[in-house]
Amino acid sequence: MNWPFNKATDLQIETIHINSTPFTCEMLGSVAQGAPIELDAAIIELMNQNAESTPANSHILASKRHWLTGDPSQSGKNLCQSFILGHCAGVGTPFSEEIVRGAMMARVKVLSSGFTGSRGIVAEKLAEMLNLGITPVVPSQGSVGAAGDLAPMSYIARTLCGYDGKQRENFSPLIPTDKEALALINGISLSASIAALAVLKAERIFNAALWAAGLTMEVVRAQSQCLDERALRSRRHPEVEEVGVILRTLLADSQRVLDTNKPDAFSIRATPSVMGAIWRTIRFAKEEVERELNGVSDNPLLFDGEWIEAGNFHGASIGLAMDHLATALTQLATLSERRTFRMTHGKLSNNLPSFLVEGTGLNSGFMLAQYTAAALASECKGLAHPASADSIPTVQHHEDHVSMSPIAARKTLQITECLADIIAIELLVGAQALDLRKKEDNHTTPIHLHELHAQIREDVPFWQDDGVLHPAIRSLSVMVRNGLPTIY
Amino acid sequence: MHSGGAISIHPIILNGESLTLESIEAVALGQCIVELCPLAKEKMLQSYQWVQDVCKTNKPVYGVNTGFGSLARVSIPPSKSSQLSTNLIRSHAAGVGPIADLQTTRTMVLLRANALAKGVSGCRPLLVENLLHLLNVNILPKIPMQGSCGSSGDLAPLAHLGLMLIGDPLGEAMVVEDSGELSYLDAPTALKKAGIAPLILEAKDGLAITNGAQLSTAIATLNIIEGKRLLLAGELAASMSMEALLGISRAFHPAVHNMRPYLGAKQCAYNIRRLTKGSTLMDSVPEKLQDAYSIRCTPQVLGAVRDMIRFVESQISVEWNSATDNPLILLDVHDASQGDPENKAFSAGMFHGEPIGMAMDSFKIAVSELANLSERRQYRLTTGNLSQLLPPGLVGKDRPAIGMIVPQTTAAALVSENKALAWPASVDSIPTCEDQEDHIAMSTVAARRARDVLHNATKVVAIELMSAAHALSFRLDERPDAQLGIGVSHGVSNVRKCLAESSSPFSTIGEQIEAIAERIQNGDMLHNLPHLLDPSDSCTPDGEAL
Repeated sequence: MNWPFNKATDLQIETIHINSTPFTCEMLGSVAQGAPIELDAAIIELMNQNAESTPANSHILASKRHWLTGDPSQSGKNLCQSFILGHCAGVGTPFSEEIVRGAMMARVKVLSSGFTGSRGIVAEKLAEMLNLGITPVVPSQGSVGAAGDLAPMSYIARTLCGYDGKQRENFSPLIPTDKEALALINGISLSASIAALAVLKAERIFNAALWAAGLTMEVVRAQSQCLDERALRSRRHPEVEEVGVILRTLLADSQRVLDTNKPDAFSIRATPSVMGAIWRTIRFAKEEVERELNGVSDNPLLFDGEWIEAGNFHGASIGLAMDHLATALTQLATLSERRTFRMTHGKLSNNLPSFLVEGTGLNSGFMLAQYTAAALASECKGLAHPASADSIPTVQHHEDHVSMSPIAARKTLQITECLADIIAIELLVGAQALDLRKKEDNHTTPIHLHELHAQIREDVPFWQDDGVLHPAIRSLSVMVRNGLPTIY
Repeated sequence: MHSGGAISIHPIILNGESLTLESIEAVALGQCIVELCPLAKEKMLQSYQWVQDVCKTNKPVYGVNTGFGSLARVSIPPSKSSQLSTNLIRSHAAGVGPIADLQTTRTMVLLRANALAKGVSGCRPLLVENLLHLLNVNILPKIPMQGSCGSSGDLAPLAHLGLMLIGDPLGEAMVVEDSGELSYLDAPTALKKAGIAPLILEAKDGLAITNGAQLSTAIATLNIIEGKRLLLAGELAASMSMEALLGISRAFHPAVHNMRPYLGAKQCAYNIRRLTKGSTLMDSVPEKLQDAYSIRCTPQVLGAVRDMIRFVESQISVEWNSATDNPLILLDVHDASQGDPENKAFSAGMFHGEPIGMAMDSFKIAVSELANLSERRQYRLTTGNLSQLLPPGLVGKDRPAIGMIVPQTTAAALVSENKALAWPASVDSIPTCEDQEDHIAMSTVAARRARDVLHNATKVVAIELMSAAHALSFRLDERPDAQLGIGVSHGVSNVRKCLAESSSPFSTIGEQIEAIAERIQNGDMLHNLPHLLDPSDSCTPDGEAL
């Protein structure tokens, strides 16, 4: 690992090629952050061939949705326009550009399967919008995640098809067929985008949390038996072992950790078990999201020239994965907060001064850093309430079980925001504690932790006396969000 | 709420005793200036003098000559008391996350100033005068809203206010530009612009600035103002849907509600009777004996919401005129049962945000239910076999392209979000400060979530108003001679006026919903209605018994 390290600047900005190779969260992340995309010619050809095999006279919207449009005689452009605009019923603060670009990318991927019966031009036009940086404004509330993210995806379709009344010099709108109008909105690409970005953030923050855990164990002089290889292997959860390997790497040659039979509190001793379980959940969530990104969520689907009606637009898998991830990340929040509490508590930290400043009384030191972590952890608990436990019948009994997947994904993303600050606080407090240890003991700090500490000190100084916590938390939070090196 | 507006010629005079919902709203909106009452100033000076005198002795008084929280065990020499206050402010400014909006910030500053104006906090009038000056020139601190546990008070948010008052280079402030946009300045520049000198803190000033749940209370107060308007708009929407669905009025008869005399239910039933008075659509399907719950049980549900909002207001209104810091300097008490009768400092837990947190958790449950009921009525309005033969989805000419089915889905998503947000924040507590502050309120989280629930619910009711107005125009097409209820007919005009004024050829249904929601929030949607509505505890606007 090389310090200084800033993963954000290493993000891939080269063109992402859309072809038959598996699509990853990382690829979506790059496009979300501005990378252009290129569709392989074979994909376009496949889409065009399939579109030509569409059964004759298949007026999908007119037949499927005449009860929505009221007037079965409407067809073509008017019908598509009424259909798309009729679904633009979102409310609330707009999504970030990143999320909207991710949703456009996820939709391109669905269309590129060829099973939606859309022509190549539909994917090409969406790709053109991405490459030109045309990002529609999409309100963040109003989708129940079945039949797809109808409302938010309609705002993207509205711009794509030029129904927003805006003339763009460099972009000519798509004139969709009725099935294409449906295919643009009838899937959970928006939920998938938020979920993919949440997974990427969770991975980065989790990695920073491993660093923070190592630092805390060093400064509170943890007993090292809880990292015993044999003990962790016997648990038979591979991620528990992996956390053990990483913490042993971080604490290698530590002169401060102790090897006694006096067990530490759970927030220290059970770190491999807890963080291992969290890691497993992040991996599970990523697997679910990547399945979604490579799958086809639309309806009806075209196979061998025949329309098949199914329920591929339902967001249950993303909703459940996100609720599960939200719970896991909340557990990481509560674990880290307890370690921060321990470090600031004069009687729980193996003789570090109360609130980690000399001359406490006149100084309150890092007292409030733990309050902020506690308030944020408490917010996470509320946000972890599972969205997919709810379902409300909609659309005249027809859409009678819905997934709430975008709500699950948005809440998980909010948890990552709180969590980044909580881990930043643990790092901030840990770095201060390490300086205090160094003054007292003359021990050498393990190399990786020494480098981490040096990196933190580039942003925030040691506190001899009280300082202002807000800017310190903010700079380390940026460091956590950008990512620390992976430890292998 | 409306922003700006005419400045009233009557200033609000602060004395720690007399803030009301109306006066707080006027200050929040910048409609009047605020001054400190001379008598309150006198009282403040007396408690200030007591603290100054104590500083010269070696009697330990929490936070005056000791450290804070669990550090109360450490004594601090008088020569360091100013630094103690300054350190408190600087080290406690640990807020993160989104910034409080202007109205919330104004309300927070006003409430803090009022708590100090009670004259039991041991601080100088200058502190309050500076706060009021910032309000009057509309230059305010930049307050991050996350990171407060609500006990001992909203420490971090109020410490950010403190950073601005002392002109700390790391403090930040916001000013309103001529364009109406907010811009941010560092604290020294902001103070210069406001024309006041940085405050040099003295003993106890730090505690006086930070010790109290004023951010929680500020958000709670704005929630109550908007919540009461939403309740009336909810009753209006219910009455409009009821007429469109050809409802049965017997469920709202006063005799019925006297048999189970919840005040809120009686008031709600009264309002429904007034709103639907004269309607020929009500009771027009003789074979129907009773309506579905979302119609028939409106007084039971919205009545319970009414009772809850009234309770919440009664709790929060105590907080407006309370002293909240620690210790309190109570010069008039001579009979303290233990210890030195000359010790006028009473350490207690007045800063604890529990009353606000629990009230806000109750508020958001109530408001979620208001929205849940509204969403079910929208489902009926848009579902063919539930709507007394309205066109399925309310699809038709002059209406949104595919009717009101998608907006009902939007409402379903919003009420579902509320279910998660309604999870009570105050049932959580995490020990802080070396276990000295071992039970905390989470009132700020409760109040912020209540605000999100309120905004979601407002949009749900906006969708119902829009759906019901469309449904009623179908009814009027079908029965050209029909009469709408007197209040309902005003409601329909208000919705139509809003749609006409806010729609352009390219506006989306989402934007129309937002436009109606904004008018619910600022009260415009109730145009021509208040004189019909809102009976008091015992009698109605026209003087009849309720």
